[in-house]
Amino acid sequence: MAVSSGKQLPADLEYVQYEHRLEGQYLPAIRSLISKDLSEPYSIYVYRYFLYQWSHLCFMALDPEDDSLIGVIICKLEVHSSHSPPTRRGYIAMLAVASHFRGRGVATALVKKAIEAMVNRNADEIVLETEETNTPAMKLYEQLGFIRSKKLHRYYLNGNSAYRLVLLLKAVDPDRSPIYDESQIT
Amino acid sequence: MADFGVGVPDEIARLSLGQGSAPPETLPPNIKSDGIVAVDITAKFSEAVKTLEPGAIVKDGFFTLFDSVAALEIMDPKMDSGCSRPGAEVEETYDVSRSLLPEEVLGIIDQLLCHEMSWHLGYPLSQTLFTSFYVEALSMPEPRSIEEATFVRNGNHNPNEQLMLQALRAYCLGMLKSCGYVNERIKSEHFYEEEDFVTTTYNRTLLASLPTSAIRDVLIEAIAALRSQRGSMPDNLVEALLARLELRRIFLDAVECPKNMKEPNLAKKPWREGLELLPDLSKTHSLAVRVNEAFSATLQRRLASTMPPRPIVQLEFDVAFGHLKGLFADGLELIDVLNYTDSQSLLTFVTCFQAKKPQPIVYVRTLLQTFLFDAMEVLGSMSIRQLLDDDFSILTMPAHQYLDRANDEIEVVHDPRYAMAQQMELFRTRAAQPFLDILRTACQNRCRVRRTLCHLLRDWESLQMDAEEIDQILQVKIEERPTMYRSAMSGSGVESYSLPLSSWTYLYKLRQMEQIIQLGFELEIYQTDELAGMYWYLNYISKSRLHHTERIKSFLMKRVEETHGRPGYSNPTIDAQLQRSLMYARLSLLDAAVTWELSDSLSCLYTVLNRLKLVKAPPRPYSTDELRYEIRMRPFAPIGLPVLPTFEEFTAGTLQPDTEIDELFEYAERAVEGAKRGFEALSKMTAEESFSVGSHARWSSSVKNGLKSCIATKLAISAVQKVIQTSPSLDNLKIKVDVPTPQKAYHEWWIVPKVLPVA
Repeated sequence: MAVSSGKQLPADLEYVQYEHRLEGQYLPAIRSLISKDLSEPYSIYVYRYFLYQWSHLCFMALDPEDDSLIGVIICKLEVHSSHSPPTRRGYIAMLAVASHFRGRGVATALVKKAIEAMVNRNADEIVLETEETNTPAMKLYEQLGFIRSKKLHRYYLNGNSAYRLVLLLKAVDPDRSPIYDESQIT
Repeated sequence: MADFGVGVPDEIARLSLGQGSAPPETLPPNIKSDGIVAVDITAKFSEAVKTLEPGAIVKDGFFTLFDSVAALEIMDPKMDSGCSRPGAEVEETYDVSRSLLPEEVLGIIDQLLCHEMSWHLGYPLSQTLFTSFYVEALSMPEPRSIEEATFVRNGNHNPNEQLMLQALRAYCLGMLKSCGYVNERIKSEHFYEEEDFVTTTYNRTLLASLPTSAIRDVLIEAIAALRSQRGSMPDNLVEALLARLELRRIFLDAVECPKNMKEPNLAKKPWREGLELLPDLSKTHSLAVRVNEAFSATLQRRLASTMPPRPIVQLEFDVAFGHLKGLFADGLELIDVLNYTDSQSLLTFVTCFQAKKPQPIVYVRTLLQTFLFDAMEVLGSMSIRQLLDDDFSILTMPAHQYLDRANDEIEVVHDPRYAMAQQMELFRTRAAQPFLDILRTACQNRCRVRRTLCHLLRDWESLQMDAEEIDQILQVKIEERPTMYRSAMSGSGVESYSLPLSSWTYLYKLRQMEQIIQLGFELEIYQTDELAGMYWYLNYISKSRLHHTERIKSFLMKRVEETHGRPGYSNPTIDAQLQRSLMYARLSLLDAAVTWELSDSLSCLYTVLNRLKLVKAPPRPYSTDELRYEIRMRPFAPIGLPVLPTFEEFTAGTLQPDTEIDELFEYAERAVEGAKRGFEALSKMTAEESFSVGSHARWSSSVKNGLKSCIATKLAISAVQKVIQTSPSLDNLKIKVDVPTPQKAYHEWWIVPKVLPVA
């Protein structure tokens, strides 16, 4: 039975960087798309925490026919200094694609957009967590170059464990100056 | 709505805030004092806010992601426990004084048992036991005496006197009390909150103020009352209820077992009784009739928590029962740790016990910690010094002058024995924590074991520096003469000192490095195309251990010769210690050798599979081999010795570009053959020879699984060889390779590929 074959992948989805002015138009759709996979929803503050501070690291896949939301990726990029030396660490917080569009490379395209945006902003590494049972997600990230660095026992509310995935973008030089703000150097 | 006999109309009074004492009255701050000038900023604030777009965040640097995740949205039914969906009752009700059929009591008890085990597995009380109206009735308000701990407290005692409610009450009291013990035990040891277990009781006390003896009496009374009903109630129902009450009585004894640490047989008794009783529970479960309305997620509203409402955890009875059985079996086995023979057998016990699949639940793991470390004593009777000295003497210092207790009595400062006592005490002080941490770490969940070992490794690295310094001070004091030692690495002989303390430290450090890699296999950290490299690195470390153990052994041999060479020598105690150390060296050599050879063989096999593209690497457009090597080696990068291989060395070792496939196979076959012989030799060792007294069966089964892994490796090698020989081209071999998950492998640390034909 051809359940979902009716909906062909549009020739080109539009990939749009999020901006704060789009909040009214897209935030409800972003929330509902992401909440579908969560047992417990995030409050609006969680979305705003990311979207307001790192809108340049959030990308949406839109259906060109009606501009509706097909997929979204939400990230942040900060100096991480619990280990020495401190690094500029990108973090992929959320990734979701509407179920009838899955398996068509939308998520991969979104992750690539996010990686490239973080590379442009001088990230040293990108990390994320994924549920141990989420094989498609792990495969997606591993295809791009992420590897598992540790397993986190019972990381999720449903009792499942997670893997921490890491993509190292630059070799970490232990002698490097801990000051990363280039504007201060010049 | 059931009144629960509380008689307090105020809803707030039912919240378990400020349990036990009246909340202190908080007065608003006095803003009329001379020091404070109050200014109304409402208008200014409203004005300022208008300049912001909706959704803009104004925050200071201390508002973290965690804070934003912790925020709740009021009036969202999924987040706000006070908000209910249209049509749903805000708070479901249930009459705890209603009469119950025996089948229903059984049903409620078995549901409670499922909730209790869910809690043990890491779910909070709010989603498990605290969803029971009966538990709520007994807990709130906190009963001040056993007489007050009844379902109905308004003076009407009729319902309390019904036999079925009496039985259920006794069960619940016993259950809550033992949960209190479990919670305190876990809190007192090392565990990870929310990850392993949730200790919060939402300000409820789990009957902490009621004496255990009073609860035991209630159980005994209920058991007697039930027994008197034999004949007037169907036998199978009476027996089923009796078994459950009996379980609660036994459970209370079991959680109190640490008080019998000095009498292991007594400590074992409740665990054994529980195991014998459990079949009576499972076979009568079919009589039970569930009473779902006796549980409600809406009870969460009464708990002191800002947590959003979460659904009741539903664990199947069979699964819960399996965990309960595991709890008793593990509890019983655990007591054997108290039969101490030597430090290495203790380590083997703890390691094997924790490597069980499934791993013992957190309560058992914390109980083991109590036995190991309670009150600064090891196993309730030994000092940490005894344990450490025993270990020093097994590994590198049998009957050694450094360990002579008489040294402590020397007061003459220039006497070398004075220096020995001083320096050894210094070393023990430094080594105690890292050494005990090995045992403590083994008691954590498997993910944490690996992560903690990565940190612990650094402590051992710095301990090694301390050890080297102390070794040098002491070798000067005792005027140790160097020996010509020919290491397998260097080939030629070098003047060497025995370095007993740094040798001891280095051996542990190497074992930890191996374990970190091995746990990586067990926890599926590595992708299949990484296996060649990770087995290559394991091979590199185990080779270092082998060479190091050879060095230790040669100094042991020297000591044996020197001791026996003394004229008129005869001392059975010294001989026994020397023999024990040689026996340990033999075990360590064999263990390092099998690790070396099997990892060598698997590394070569995976190298071939990578080369033949039977194991494929993902495209990885954003990564390089060198950057991934950096991540993989992060735990080992700070370690001075063994030197971290350079990326070029690692690549050459993993790809072996100059070696043909048939040579690689030849090499892999030879290595696996050696490993197989090694495992066979290990499997013939007695408990004493293998330092697994008390856990020999578990240790042996791990060795046998290693042996099976060798055989599987041989099969995989020959399967690929055969296909290569019969195929015209290497590009189109009619096979595929299945890399099993660790659970499907013979041993979690040996991921042996399966070679399958393709049509």
